[in-house]
Amino acid sequence: MLDDKIKQEVSKILANMVKPVTLKLFTQGNECGYCKETHELLNELAAINDKLKLEAFDFETHEAEAKKYGVEELPTIVVMDEKDHGIRFTGIPAGYEFSSLLSAFLMVSTGVAKLTNDTKAFLDNLQKPVHLKVFVTPTCPYCPPAVMLAHAMAFHSDKVTAEMIELSEFPHLAVKYGVQGVPRTVINEKWFQEGAAPEDILVAKIKEAL
Amino acid sequence: MDFNLSFTANANPEELYDLIIIGGGPAGLTAGLYAARYKLKTLMIEKMAISGGQLTSTEWVENYPGFPEPVLGQKLAKDMETQAKMFGLEVINEEVTKVELTGNIKQVHTPYAVWKAKTILISTGSSPRKLNVPGEDNYKGNGVSYCATCDGPFYPDKTIAVIGGGNTAFEESVFLAKYAAKVTIIHRSDSYKADQILQERVKANPKIELLPFYQVTHIDFDNPEGRQIILKNTQDDTEKIMKVDGIFVFIGNDPNTKLFEGQLELEGGYLVTDRSHKTSVDGVWAAGDVQAKALRQVATAVGDGACAAHWINKYVEEWSE
Repeated sequence: MLDDKIKQEVSKILANMVKPVTLKLFTQGNECGYCKETHELLNELAAINDKLKLEAFDFETHEAEAKKYGVEELPTIVVMDEKDHGIRFTGIPAGYEFSSLLSAFLMVSTGVAKLTNDTKAFLDNLQKPVHLKVFVTPTCPYCPPAVMLAHAMAFHSDKVTAEMIELSEFPHLAVKYGVQGVPRTVINEKWFQEGAAPEDILVAKIKEAL
Repeated sequence: MDFNLSFTANANPEELYDLIIIGGGPAGLTAGLYAARYKLKTLMIEKMAISGGQLTSTEWVENYPGFPEPVLGQKLAKDMETQAKMFGLEVINEEVTKVELTGNIKQVHTPYAVWKAKTILISTGSSPRKLNVPGEDNYKGNGVSYCATCDGPFYPDKTIAVIGGGNTAFEESVFLAKYAAKVTIIHRSDSYKADQILQERVKANPKIELLPFYQVTHIDFDNPEGRQIILKNTQDDTEKIMKVDGIFVFIGNDPNTKLFEGQLELEGGYLVTDRSHKTSVDGVWAAGDVQAKALRQVATAVGDGACAAHWINKYVEEWSE
């Protein structure tokens, strides 16, 4: 999947990892759109740095595990350490989203989430759960910041979960959520924020949604 | 399948940089390359996760010299960044929230830090202009788009209206026609600014139709009979209703200069510069689309960036606290 040049770049970036990171991958044979490719991609990444631990599950034979991690679409990647922070990638993180994937590895591995103090204070005082779905396409250059922000919020707060969804693989979700432009961050299924909004704008939108 | 990587430097806010570049499009990246080769300690602050600015939202670039085969916009952007980083340019992905440009040491605020430099280069470029008609804001991202490479894939076998008569409208229509069943280019006159070669390509594409002498007055996507736009004839004011699934707007750009209002001289929103690309304040330069000038292209942005870096280097050589 990755050519040698990209592998070298990845190797340099992952050299900044501190703690091991577990990748739980849910697929189903070769049936789903990009299950095979996603599995290959994660295999290649895990081979580059041994701090990345890949655990692959077949959706059908590991029903309990899939349920535990709330997996509904395939492929899904859970990026976690000893704890599940609620960070998910649904669909293959290719194209521009490859940066979001590596960012998530580094964030979990180093324990550093890039958020302002204001945002952290807001997240620390959350009373209700917040679920963020960030809809993207791999060719959208404006999408990774929206994904990274949502994942950072999930990493910082136990109340927040955040999922990147690669829409071209799941057209039914585009219909369900009325998405015809990306990025779009859906908050708790009902509210949404268009575009790659700065932190304070997304925080304001989450406040509205609660 | 492509995999795009863009990672940021471990820049240090304690450092006094020789140069901070705000905005990482072709102008900023070229200035960064030149400055890094002059051995200036240079930081580029780009608000998106990926450098390249508007280059990343276009598919093919055909009029940048040196590429007889068209080059992907995102590839050209990525290569420019790689080249500049090779010589030591530091890039961080944060949004600038405030600038303090007067004084010998300039300050640039982001949500995470305050960065200091002897000189500033503004290459913040421009953003797509809106139509400013009813319905536009409500359906932005849900039928109204300003980025074909982002949102084109949502319109397989659908009907699309493209608004505009320039290069972007024509280029992106060809891209959209790969997905859509039909693309109609709506323009207020029958005189198109798009390069002749693009006009010929559009005319040869059976999926693309031209509709001159019309402008959009209302994006009526709430209509129970289906999505439609209301058009007005620019010659006789008659109205026309058009059923579409989506509308892409390419009617030019507005400069990203809000941060500098009241601090730098502007002309129609664009930054006024002298022949050395210097703005109205000492130690502050501008390059690329954000400058008041006649032609806004990758090729001109690159030239602006190189030229500005030359004068910045001279200024830094003589700079003293």
